[in-house]
Amino acid sequence: MMRTYVLRRLLQLVPLLLALTALTFLLLRLAPGDYLSSVASNPDVSDATLDAMRHRFGLDRSWLVQLGLYLRNVLFHLDFGESFSLHRPVFAVLRGALLNTLLLALAGALVTWGLAIPLGAWAAARHDTPVDRALSFVAFLGLSVPEVLSGLLLLMLAARTGWFPAGGMRSIDWDLLGPGAKALDLLRHLVLPALVVGLVPLASRMRQMRASLLDVLGQEYVTTARAMGLPERSVILRHGMRNALNPLITLFGYTLGSLLSGSLVAEVIFAWPGLGRVTYEALLSRDLYLVVGSVLMAAVVLVLGNLVADLLLAAADPRIRDG
Amino acid sequence: MEGWIIHRPTALPLVIAAGLLLGAAAPSAPPRGAARPAPRRPAPAFEPLVTPMDEIGVRGGRFVYAVMNDAKTFNPIMSNETSSSDVNGRLYASLTDYDNARQESAPRLAKSWEVSRDGWTWTWHLRRGARFSDGHPLTAEDVLFSFAVAYDSTLHQSIYDQLTFDGKKVEISAPDSYTVVTRLPRPLARELVVPKLSALRILPKHVLEPLWRAGRFASAYGVGTPPESLVTSGAWRLERFAPHEMTVLGRNPWWFGVDARGQRLPYLDQLVYLVVPDDNAAVLRFENGEVDALSDVKPEDYATFARGETRGAYTLRDLGAALTSNFFWFDLNRERKGGGKREVGEPCAGAVKYAWFANRDFRRAVSMAIDRDAIIRSVFFGEGVKNWSLMTPGYRLFHAPAVSGPDYDPAGARRLLARLGFRDRDGDHVLEDADGHPVRFTLKTNSSTARMQMANFVRDDLAKVGIACTVSVIDYTVMINNMREDFDYDAILAGLTGAVPPDPGMAGNFYRSGAISHFWNIRQPKPETRAEARLDSLFDALLEPRSLAERRRISAEMDRIIVDQCWVIWLPTMKVKLPVRNRFGNLHPTIVPQRLLWNIETVFVRPTGRR
Repeated sequence: MMRTYVLRRLLQLVPLLLALTALTFLLLRLAPGDYLSSVASNPDVSDATLDAMRHRFGLDRSWLVQLGLYLRNVLFHLDFGESFSLHRPVFAVLRGALLNTLLLALAGALVTWGLAIPLGAWAAARHDTPVDRALSFVAFLGLSVPEVLSGLLLLMLAARTGWFPAGGMRSIDWDLLGPGAKALDLLRHLVLPALVVGLVPLASRMRQMRASLLDVLGQEYVTTARAMGLPERSVILRHGMRNALNPLITLFGYTLGSLLSGSLVAEVIFAWPGLGRVTYEALLSRDLYLVVGSVLMAAVVLVLGNLVADLLLAAADPRIRDG
Repeated sequence: MEGWIIHRPTALPLVIAAGLLLGAAAPSAPPRGAARPAPRRPAPAFEPLVTPMDEIGVRGGRFVYAVMNDAKTFNPIMSNETSSSDVNGRLYASLTDYDNARQESAPRLAKSWEVSRDGWTWTWHLRRGARFSDGHPLTAEDVLFSFAVAYDSTLHQSIYDQLTFDGKKVEISAPDSYTVVTRLPRPLARELVVPKLSALRILPKHVLEPLWRAGRFASAYGVGTPPESLVTSGAWRLERFAPHEMTVLGRNPWWFGVDARGQRLPYLDQLVYLVVPDDNAAVLRFENGEVDALSDVKPEDYATFARGETRGAYTLRDLGAALTSNFFWFDLNRERKGGGKREVGEPCAGAVKYAWFANRDFRRAVSMAIDRDAIIRSVFFGEGVKNWSLMTPGYRLFHAPAVSGPDYDPAGARRLLARLGFRDRDGDHVLEDADGHPVRFTLKTNSSTARMQMANFVRDDLAKVGIACTVSVIDYTVMINNMREDFDYDAILAGLTGAVPPDPGMAGNFYRSGAISHFWNIRQPKPETRAEARLDSLFDALLEPRSLAERRRISAEMDRIIVDQCWVIWLPTMKVKLPVRNRFGNLHPTIVPQRLLWNIETVFVRPTGRR
């Protein structure tokens, strides 16, 4: 049953991706200008050359024809087109950037959840005490400082102290480093952008954890456990936490779905070579197939993330799995 | 997308030919660190390029340069934007080089050149013993091949337009391996011919010809090419490329440039283009020493940089006025195609506004309403100059200091408007024209901070003389579309920036009435006004082979016509300052692009310099 469920979800992807492709083509066409507008801003380029390039890229045809040709290439040849500016297949361009973004996003998620769960639990255990209030205050401060500002502040810290590199993903001498040193170098570069990415959703996740645990702690079986004389620590960790985490697992799954969309600001400030920057640049230069390719990729990750969320929930909660 | 490039053929470092010093300063071949031995062929005598420089340097070290974007291709023929052509200018040699400091051409692969008496035929004498980065000899064959690829009409790249003259190609032949003869479609001024033909980057025929024949040239030498397989003709070769991270160039061991002691150039081991998309982050990384130079600093930061000079061991150099001019113009275009919302011949701005805009006195009044000193003080933090031409004071040879236009005189502007019958009839502080239409228009500009601020100043100044101007900030591509295709605007504030060579002859698209950047009324089938007819004939004269003095006089005359007609309302130009680290020798930034890297082959790390 599980298998048919997964299969059905994957099949739902097909119409979704088709609709997204058509919509992206249409929106890019509705926006004024095309890839050649930036080429045309160089007055040295003659009209004849522009027309010839427009023809070569197929931009002289209607968007429906372009869409049709694109779909034919995708469906029959698995050819997702070439980037106009890079003269390279779209997925060759996106692959590296996708991995970099996933790395950053997962590190960010690690920061978020690694802090949200223990801090949220602590706040719940000490609810309505100064500890709880202090934690809330810090969390909401983090929530209300814009990413750009926190990013620049952290960058300034890095630049002034030299504790961390001020941006980038790897050192210039990366090639000369051994495998261990490479991992360490990457990690040093990852810390600050991951903090920026991770701190944004921290406040809400922390509050959710707190609420969830408080909810559980009010349940009868917890009272029973307490009545049986179990130490408070064991009540919270063994009985409370396990059940409080259930709703958060679903939430975590949905975070997976939005992995690709949360890191553009951090990528720009920390010069992280991720998908956000590639897509943004492609969009600015109207690099059609590159934009469509990254939209499709984001959609696939979103759907897969949601699927994983559902599966995780099923794994965690027997009522769903067996029901 | 700050400015627009009028054109961009070449920007290579300063070098002067060794001339006939055959082998006098020749280093012993093969050079240190050569990738592999040269093919066995009768080795021609080596004619190195002895590069003049302030200080003889030492080898070693690295220079880290922050850029906003990385290269999109390492194929110089296929590159369409500056982030690619900047890097490709280091990787591939051209016939001649441009001396940014003197603003004149200098030898490169061609050790000398001459023009025939009739001015049609140019002969280029190539340096003997030049080699590609794989050790393969570089000869006239490679130059012919590179021209052939650039003229391949199936590739359709901007280089095609750079190498043609009024749409006609140059005829090229090679009488021997070290001579290239080019016959131009028309005689042309020396200052234009030499840099224009040097827009062509020399490619290795032995590597790329098979790919070209197979129809795979467009994707050859893309950014996915393994660095070691990229064969270059310039001073550098590709060492590493990490997309959106960095491009690392290393020394081409076979490069023909040497210093006065015969030491092979470049001095630096590595030239690193580090991608830093955020301005503020770039400044931070300059401050902490990760980055050695910035290509752009905002005027509001000049004072901060000046204060940090000692601590940061750098000097803030004043490069003078930028090559970028700022201006706005009114839409005088008329519908030519028809079929849309307008009849053929109908003014695109509408009949009422067209009547104002087409009136020279109206435009003069607008120009007189603008307080340029205030703009310099506020937008450029005092670091700007008034400017009345495309030839800003940064154009060493062609700036005409005597030309100036209708400057700030609000009372005069009001008098001029009153004489046109513009009066505030209903007491709302906005003038109405003789037919009672309130004088309102929209000034569009793209989202560049300086331009938006200038537009706001224009709005406030115009309000003071009773003209209601609304500023509208739009996307760059939309703006291009407005000014080129749909003419859906009243006035646009933009700018033009020069490249190499900084010569008015490169700006035909602005001056000529039939051209696409003759913004106020583009693509006129024939000049619509007498002043424009005069401008066209002056521009033709400017292109002809004449003495520099004569060409300067013609350029000043063109400036005067435009200022007199007020077709564009000139705004001030920014002064450029750049921080330069003291530990580098021979680092002399110029206002001409590439500002910092034009002579990077001679830049070295001072041995005593502290880090």
